[in-house]
Amino acid sequence: MNIAAYIIYLLLTGIITIKVGQVLFHHGRFYILSAMHGDETLTGVINKLLLTGYYLVNLGYAALMLRNWQTITTVTQLVSSVGTMTGRIVFSLAIMHYLNILWIALFGKQQQLFSHHKK
Amino acid sequence: MKTDFNLIAYLIYLPVIVVLTWYVAHTLFKNSKVFMLDIFHGKADIANSTNTIFETGFYLLNLGFALLIMEISTELGSSRTLLETLSTKVGGFAIYLGVMLFFNLYLFFRGRRISKMRSNPPVITPPVFKA
Repeated sequence: MNIAAYIIYLLLTGIITIKVGQVLFHHGRFYILSAMHGDETLTGVINKLLLTGYYLVNLGYAALMLRNWQTITTVTQLVSSVGTMTGRIVFSLAIMHYLNILWIALFGKQQQLFSHHKK
Repeated sequence: MKTDFNLIAYLIYLPVIVVLTWYVAHTLFKNSKVFMLDIFHGKADIANSTNTIFETGFYLLNLGFALLIMEISTELGSSRTLLETLSTKVGGFAIYLGVMLFFNLYLFFRGRRISKMRSNPPVITPPVFKA
């Protein structure tokens, strides 16, 4: 039963992580572009690096969670433990996502401050 | 084999939260495009991107939270306890979702106000002193 749980869990978290990564990769470009004052090549490089780092952290974290998984004997336990574990991953993804937004907003504010000083 | 009420509860709970979250997110982010266009002064690409990023965050946070509180630790003995537990969970989640909806709306209104202030800052006239 544990093997089935691991397979479902890894598939779910893998799909969610990759899907979200693609969405952020596509839509986050404009922000980095404006923070880098329209430098296209630098933006591409930074965006790729950020995506790779994001995949590594998330998939690594998801795989680490397998270590202390309770033993499963019934279908009920399977549903509840896969649900809770996936929930934990998705919730931490959300928190990371909001921290990233905050960080970009703060960075943008700082840039504005500097450009103000230059004038 | 005895009917496992916990499993039934999970199988009802999961579709309900997914549909609920989808409905709220769909309504909220279909209408937030107007705000986003206002905030970014009609620049469609960055407005759409911001909208999608907020939508992704909304889904992640709420589905993650719903899955986190999914586990029912007590054994449900009858259909009555099943209904009671399930309604408490779904009701609590719905209230949380409503709070989140209003929080997002507050963020949109705040963004619009700040963006308007920046584009035409308030004119402060110096006080006139009479001798």
